[in-house]
Amino acid sequence: MTRKQKRLTVIVGGLAFLAAAAALTFYALGQRTSYFYMPADLEAANVAPGERFRLGGLVATGSIERGQGLNVSFAVTDHEQTVSVRYSGILPDLFREEQGVVTEGAFDENRVFVADSVLAKHDETYMPREVADALKEKGVWQEEE
Amino acid sequence: MIVFWIVAALMTAAACLAVILPFLRPQASLETGHDVEVYRDQLAEIDRDLARRAISPAEADEAKAEIGRRILRAAENRPGGTERADSSLTRIAATLAILLVPVLGLGGYLYLGSPAIPDQALAARLDANPSTNSVEELIARAERHLVENPQDGRGWDVLAPIYLRVGRAEDAVIAFRNTISLNGPNAAREAGLGDALFQLAGNVVTAESREAFERALGLDGANPKARFFLALALAQQGDTESAAGRWRALFDDLPQDSPWRGTIVQALERVHGAPAPQPGSGPSAEEIEAAADMTQEDRAAMIEGMVAQLAERMRDNPDDVAGWQRLIRSYSVLGRADDARAALQSGVEGLGAESSAAQELIGFAAGLGIALPESR
Amino acid sequence: MTVEIGHLALVLAFALAVVQATVPMLGARLGDARLMAMAAPTAMAGFALVTLSFCSLVAAYVTSDFSVANVWQNSHSLKPMLYKVTGTWGNHEGSMLLWVLILVLFGALVAMFSSNLPATLRANVIAVQGWIGAAFLLFILATSNPFVRLDPAPIEGRDLNPILQDIGLAVHPPLLYLGYVGFSISFSFAVAALIEGRIDAAWARWVRPWVLAAWVFLTGGIAMGSYWAYYELGWGGFWFWDPVENASFMPWLAGTALLHSALVMERRSALKIWTVLLAVLTFSLSLLGTFLVRSGVLTSVHAFATDPARGVFILIILGIFIGGALTLFALRASELKAGGIFQPISREGALVLNNLFLSTATATVLIGTLYPLVIEALTGDKISVGAPFFNLTFGLLMVPLLVIVPFGPLLAWKRGDLSAVSQRLFAALGIGLAIALVSLVFIDRVSVFAALGCGLAAWLIAGSVTDLAFKSGYPKVGAAVAIRRLMGLPGAAFGTVFAHAGLGVTLLGLVSVTALEVEKFVTMKPGETLDVAGLVLNFDGMMPLRGANFVEDQARFSIAGADGKSLGEIVSAKRVYTARRMPTTEAGIRTFGFSQLYVSVGDPTEDGGIVVRVWWKPNVTLIWLGAVVMMVGGVFSLADRRLRIGAPAARRRQSERPA
Repeated sequence: MTRKQKRLTVIVGGLAFLAAAAALTFYALGQRTSYFYMPADLEAANVAPGERFRLGGLVATGSIERGQGLNVSFAVTDHEQTVSVRYSGILPDLFREEQGVVTEGAFDENRVFVADSVLAKHDETYMPREVADALKEKGVWQEEE
Repeated sequence: MIVFWIVAALMTAAACLAVILPFLRPQASLETGHDVEVYRDQLAEIDRDLARRAISPAEADEAKAEIGRRILRAAENRPGGTERADSSLTRIAATLAILLVPVLGLGGYLYLGSPAIPDQALAARLDANPSTNSVEELIARAERHLVENPQDGRGWDVLAPIYLRVGRAEDAVIAFRNTISLNGPNAAREAGLGDALFQLAGNVVTAESREAFERALGLDGANPKARFFLALALAQQGDTESAAGRWRALFDDLPQDSPWRGTIVQALERVHGAPAPQPGSGPSAEEIEAAADMTQEDRAAMIEGMVAQLAERMRDNPDDVAGWQRLIRSYSVLGRADDARAALQSGVEGLGAESSAAQELIGFAAGLGIALPESR
Repeated sequence: MTVEIGHLALVLAFALAVVQATVPMLGARLGDARLMAMAAPTAMAGFALVTLSFCSLVAAYVTSDFSVANVWQNSHSLKPMLYKVTGTWGNHEGSMLLWVLILVLFGALVAMFSSNLPATLRANVIAVQGWIGAAFLLFILATSNPFVRLDPAPIEGRDLNPILQDIGLAVHPPLLYLGYVGFSISFSFAVAALIEGRIDAAWARWVRPWVLAAWVFLTGGIAMGSYWAYYELGWGGFWFWDPVENASFMPWLAGTALLHSALVMERRSALKIWTVLLAVLTFSLSLLGTFLVRSGVLTSVHAFATDPARGVFILIILGIFIGGALTLFALRASELKAGGIFQPISREGALVLNNLFLSTATATVLIGTLYPLVIEALTGDKISVGAPFFNLTFGLLMVPLLVIVPFGPLLAWKRGDLSAVSQRLFAALGIGLAIALVSLVFIDRVSVFAALGCGLAAWLIAGSVTDLAFKSGYPKVGAAVAIRRLMGLPGAAFGTVFAHAGLGVTLLGLVSVTALEVEKFVTMKPGETLDVAGLVLNFDGMMPLRGANFVEDQARFSIAGADGKSLGEIVSAKRVYTARRMPTTEAGIRTFGFSQLYVSVGDPTEDGGIVVRVWWKPNVTLIWLGAVVMMVGGVFSLADRRLRIGAPAARRRQSERPA
């Protein structure tokens, strides 16, 4: 092989590698991302049972019910629509009524959202950004200060 | 303040010095060709590696040859002598730089800073002479004392009604409960607890608060606060007629100078549809009484502070009738009749001399024996 | 007065930074030694002023001076002293001040230790540092001034977020910033070289120690942050692929690549243009990280006190610096002379491969992190890219890289002999396969992937040891000679060995926890017991306690071995911080060897029990210990005399010493 050919081989090899990496990345982006919805978005979104997405909103007042052992159910609302959520696990410390939450999971057949994670916040004044934006649009929530 | 500006001047001067420094000492000429030194170092390293037999002699020769080529290349690339500096440009740049530091530094600070505000370390604030403390600071002092001596019943006794007056109902509930458990119940404490629970519930006489008032009445059948609030409880349940009856009876039982008489008049007006008075601050007679247990200075300072604060608030909100009433009452209880008269006058002016609110205020003051000055 | 002096010092530091940014650069252009000489004293005076400013803010926190709005918002008089001090940077304004303090510290260090740099390069480097300093000082003064006063002063502060009232805050941000901001030096060197249009092997030698130091700190900062999140958040996770974590991980990946490419440049004068670009990109990623963390544009579990409005200002700074540097790069890169040529199979070749993998991995993390922003801007849809994406892409990229790591250090420069190297690595390969086999056959529940992971970790560690053995000549020469030779090896050789072995240690921890973790999730009443991984946990009961600024309900558990022998107790608690009325969960952790038992309590149940979550995390500490080993490697490398700034000068000094 001449030097030029060798060089060409290296460059082609590098490009092939990059192409493979790019293909992998975009494949993964297509497969491994989840959408974020507020309860009112769900009608238009037409989410099938079992399809994973993240649900955000406020914890509806009076909706928190602790069942047997670790099971908890509550409702997430954006003051337009409300979605029932079932969750089994320890709730975040700052989980309260009328607080913003983001949960991740999927609908079951009865359109009850089965969450496997409830986003913990670190700061009582902090609102998950998606929830804050969406609620501000609806005029339900205003930022302090 | 003077000290601050001296320090500020020194700091600015020091910052300028950093800019001037290069002009105060001669500068060495420019050097180049450091890369050659790096290559020499690499040559020495190859020798070391060879000695340690980490590389073969052939590898070492090859590497040395290449480094040698690089040294030649680096020597070729070395730029010939440096350009002459343009001395006038240098001077302009240096002058601008030296001017920039004090102008931007001090100017920026004057725009952003607050040189007039001193440091206010909390410990120093609380150790200061109580007469210079604000009400909040006095409360904080008492709180700090109680954190260290939570069994000090007298402390809780003093603090509880003050919490109530400044609107910290939740703390007031805790403080009243503490004083009751440490000092034993009396009518004033139970009635205070009832009031605190009333405020905590958003000005509603709850069952819990009612029980407290009933206990107070059990200890002292004449306690005006308990009688007043138990009547209010009836009013809040919708039985305004019995409430009004009880209030009138209380009014008749009270001495002429009792502060409760004004409150009762208002309450009666309210059940007949007049607007509700604003909850506000300013010490009540009980509070001044409760403050009796404090040291002379602390007590005086606290009362003065509260009254001064109320007076200030009234300057900003002159159309609050209830506030004026409280202020006039406070002055009259403190025996400062002249101030009370002055407050009445300001109040009447603030409300508009011809308004019905002003007339009400004059009537209220008359009940306390305060009349407008004769000069008008 | 202290507070106002601090404020004045900050404004003066800004003025000096403006001088530092402009005059030396002009001097370098004109060839005027005096103007260039302004660089060092302004940088050092700027550092002194920012230090003064920072100290006065700390003093305001220590004395609970609530006339300073920042103190009032983030402190409380009853907070323990340590948290009063660390609270200084537990908020947006203070953390930006710490950021700038570290920036000017690096500027001052460059000014102090760069007397052997060519004068124009030195002036330009310090001036570029000055630009960054001026931009961020302006940012602080204009949008995030920590010295805003309140008059009259409130009597009590609002307290620091309880999650931050932890020793982690004392260590994590300073370390992380030392890493983040440390890369500003290589950025400044790169931009200065581009301005001069000249770059050589010496450049790489000057830059490498700074890159190395920043890398060591960033490694420590990331590991510390990960451990902090692990024990503080109470759910036992150590890495969430959260945007804020990615923000610190991207500069680390790019910095690791830079570390390796600078080596090629220093030794072989090759990869010059790429190295300069990488230096620019690494700090750009640091700036991007600062922007992501401070602006809160991406939802993160680690975001505190974010403010989108201020984010715009950082975005502008980001745009100017990254855009400016890349434009300069585009204009000047063609002027830089390309370096030497080498064979694909060689040390250089291996390092290029390393760079290819690392930069691609950085790109995937960057894409995954920013993708939600792009999609939202384009379609308005809100999506999230989580762990599954990163595990797939990043994981797939890392496996081949880790496989080839042991080959690199064994290959010769310029032209390597792959088959000879493979022979030397036979033993390591054997160990790796044996470990994989052993874990597959003898340890329960290990999947094929986990077994291969363990084998890969063993391969990395054994490969590093092989490298060391080969350099010592063992087994060709006797053990005594080999040891003597080992002592004579340069620090950088040990650096490589430790850094690569540390990678293996971390990988072992990751694989163990992922494959062998045991999780129990139950409700327990006092007196009940729970079996976890051969240990017996007995719930002794709840105990209310009062701390300095919180009240807590402690759940106490005693631990016993399977044989009934007592192994001490473990305490997890539900706390409520009184000032903010904010509840937190304190996890209970006990370490057994490299493994940990992790207990986290939840809410009480109606029948008098309590929800308890218990994990057995085998070898979990190896994840962070591996990082420590990597840091040790970095420190070894840094201690290598040849690498220190002014290695030639050091050599001269040594020869001057009487024999």
